[in-house]
Amino acid sequence: MTSTVFYRRFERHAHGEGINAHTTTYCPGCGHGLVQKYLADAIDELGVQDRTVLISPVGCAVFMYYYFDVGNSQAAHGRAPAVAVGHKTANPESIVISYQGDGDLASIGLAEIVSTAQLGIPITVIFVNNAIYGMTGGQMAPTTLIGQTTTTTPGGRSTLAGHPLKMAELIAGLDGPVFVERVALYDNRRRTHAKRSINKALEQQVTGKGFAFVEVLSECPVHLGLDPEDAESWVRDTMSRTFPLGVKKDVTADGAGFPPIPMPRFDSDEALRTVGATSEHPPRFATGFPSHVDPEDISIKLAGSGGDGAQTAALLITRAAINEGYDSTHIPSYGPESRGGTSFADVHVALEEVLSPEAPHPHVLVAFNTPSLARFGPTVRPGGTVLYDSSVTGAVPAGLPDDVTLVGVPFASVAQDLGTPLVKSVVALGALQGATTLFPAETFLTAIRAALKDKPAVIGANEQAFATGAALARAQV
Amino acid sequence: MTRVLERPKPFVIPELCKGCGRCVSSCVKGCISPGNGINAETGLIPIVVDLTDCNGCALCFDACPEPYALQPLPDGDIAGASGTAPGLFPENAVLPAPQPRPDVTVPLPEREPLIVKGTYAAALGAILAGCRHVFGYPITPSTEGAELMAKVLPELDGIFVQAVSEVATVNMMYGAGGAGKRCMTFTSSPGFSLMLEGISYMVGAEVPAVFVDVMRGGPGLGNIAPEQADVKLACRGLGHGNTHALVLAPATPQEMLDLTMLAFDLAFKYRNPVVILGDGFLGQITGKVRLPRHMVEPGVPDWAVVGDRTHRRNLICSINLDEADLEIHNMHLVGKYRRMAAEEQRADLHRCDDADTLLVACNTPSQLAKGAVKELRDRGVKVGLFRPITLWPFPIDALLTVLDRVRRVIVVEASDGQIEDELRLALSHAGVHAPPPISHVRRMGGILPSQAEIVEHVSKLDGVLR
Repeated sequence: MTSTVFYRRFERHAHGEGINAHTTTYCPGCGHGLVQKYLADAIDELGVQDRTVLISPVGCAVFMYYYFDVGNSQAAHGRAPAVAVGHKTANPESIVISYQGDGDLASIGLAEIVSTAQLGIPITVIFVNNAIYGMTGGQMAPTTLIGQTTTTTPGGRSTLAGHPLKMAELIAGLDGPVFVERVALYDNRRRTHAKRSINKALEQQVTGKGFAFVEVLSECPVHLGLDPEDAESWVRDTMSRTFPLGVKKDVTADGAGFPPIPMPRFDSDEALRTVGATSEHPPRFATGFPSHVDPEDISIKLAGSGGDGAQTAALLITRAAINEGYDSTHIPSYGPESRGGTSFADVHVALEEVLSPEAPHPHVLVAFNTPSLARFGPTVRPGGTVLYDSSVTGAVPAGLPDDVTLVGVPFASVAQDLGTPLVKSVVALGALQGATTLFPAETFLTAIRAALKDKPAVIGANEQAFATGAALARAQV
Repeated sequence: MTRVLERPKPFVIPELCKGCGRCVSSCVKGCISPGNGINAETGLIPIVVDLTDCNGCALCFDACPEPYALQPLPDGDIAGASGTAPGLFPENAVLPAPQPRPDVTVPLPEREPLIVKGTYAAALGAILAGCRHVFGYPITPSTEGAELMAKVLPELDGIFVQAVSEVATVNMMYGAGGAGKRCMTFTSSPGFSLMLEGISYMVGAEVPAVFVDVMRGGPGLGNIAPEQADVKLACRGLGHGNTHALVLAPATPQEMLDLTMLAFDLAFKYRNPVVILGDGFLGQITGKVRLPRHMVEPGVPDWAVVGDRTHRRNLICSINLDEADLEIHNMHLVGKYRRMAAEEQRADLHRCDDADTLLVACNTPSQLAKGAVKELRDRGVKVGLFRPITLWPFPIDALLTVLDRVRRVIVVEASDGQIEDELRLALSHAGVHAPPPISHVRRMGGILPSQAEIVEHVSKLDGVLR
């Protein structure tokens, strides 16, 4: 009795010629053929042939797409569960089955199967464990038994080659799966049960319950060097002692199942809102490009420790400049040192286009601490402006160009006095405006208010911080 | 028509039976026994069935590993029936051929420019290109793209999955792309290395997807500063086999958006991955980005493995055991590469019209080179910038239009000559065996060539250094 889930003619097998059109590639007595029959039956019985996407592995089952008249996707070695996640998320209505052997699933693909199982996404994994590599010709599998001879354990597997991996138990130990069972094929009773188990596993996906995993102890007579009947006996008497049969986890009766996987929307208004688009034209306050600083391209460096707000202030300058209709860029130093340690930002404001985003010789330096002032002070170009936090820097280090305008404003203590130390960067921004008149104060304040639109309570403190910084700086230039 | 009995009894089709004998022990009535005659067609010894005691328990069917070796006995005369008897093996049911559902381009109203960083710009471009499936693994300096997607995709009922590794990432993309979805990832150099295997499978199986590789310093763990040393991977080393993919090189946050949108169209046009190579600066730089005046609602390609009746016969697969078949498939892929090379070259020529000195640069270094062009032009040096936007194919056709007038070519790059190699290879393939002298300004390790270094190099060559 053959399910119509199998192709009636295997046209993909050797172009469907001769007996290849109706036989599998499996060796005589191989368990794969049985498992696949039960799987086809389950697909048939649950009425999901049209919706099924079957992921073929690498290994002896690589050619499952020859046989199964369903959507087919053939995966790289070990990656079938990841491919399955791709298919399932692409179409939550599809019924995705990942079928893998022991080398594929329990060796090279361990990360994929464990993480997918823990994800709990409703897919069905059929794991065929025959304790040996079949396709490559009888090498040790991760499930090879201690003492078992293979071509890569010619003296029998010793524990130096590791212990057999009990996948069903491992997967059952995870929170993600709803159903995990190990079954076998060595007699009528086990076969009937294996069939039911595969059906039940697939049903968990059809009903949206979740991830299910069936490990099937299978026979590889050729590489075990046994005839098929003796191979059945070996699985029964020897292999199943290491790999006990039975349900390892079953929470199918509990819970509401896996949350529904959404189907994407493509509404244009929604998309525009999502990307943050606005038709609101930002107000402009400047009467022209700040050519008193540079005729066409102004560079600013802001440097301090992580948490000083150098990046925040830099971004606000960029936003302010773009709102005024100019080009601007902000490039941070980033990575480990930006989570503490030094943090500096390069900003350009250009009349037409920013070309070099770095600021090796800035027009303006904003230094939040003494080391930053010492490091970058000497790079400021002649005639430039250096702003520093006079509440942390006492003596200005040597090495600054003679003709720079040096402006000390106590960023930190102003912020402290306002009761909100976090506004230190806004004090600095105010100081930058006061010292350079890069743009009118209202340009920056508008950018600050926009950035704080979700925190209206702190706008007042920020405005005050800006005004204080600006006034203190203006008094010095 | 034959009718199958409700409690069917088996008959064996000898040429389909491999003689494994698993059915022999399954039969409690002893109806099945090992055969003793070798089948002429298979060289195997099929089992023999004697139905005298058969009670139709059907356990033998579940013991036979072959789909068609044991058949249920039809209710009728099957004397002399064999595997080739009419009716036993009807042809596969015919399904209607799937029809592609085309993409829909939706016009967008004009909006204010956004102020976003490069990775965000690429992410927003992807959203407007209709990408709703993003897979990724965090790696500096590309992670912000994934972070933004994780935040905004749920608002559009899209999917972001943080995979267990880059290896899993690329294979999730293989699945979602194989299902016909527009999917992408953000990664950086070490992560891109890990994805190469999967990209080879995608090329082989003709799965479209978009990879944004924000290149950082290498080799090995290197650092997280900008480099351009993945060019050879993207242009020459996309995993094993005869692989190629279109490689786009944006220079600004604006192009991170524009080229990401383009990348999806190209990926589906050719059924092939597309690689966007940015550099660490481009990933992190914040700038002005204008939104396009259209977005895409993707359709469903006819070839996709969707998981529905229409697409049931589709297959996404890179294995082809027969040598002749695989060679034909390779020739098909190579045909696509030829078409890409002919039709998809893109370049930007900046002040090249009268240039006798040509800078060649892409990504952020091309912006630095543009600054150098301005500086040198102000000094009267006739310098132009040739900026490849496609690194593969190298835009040789556009280069040849200006090369005649050029006295020297200077490649500016943040690698040990990977872009120059592409240039030289393209010249060689184009039959230009005596190009103008090619020199270079190179930095590595996370340092970009500076505008000053470019100016100095050109000035030295030009003899105008004061």
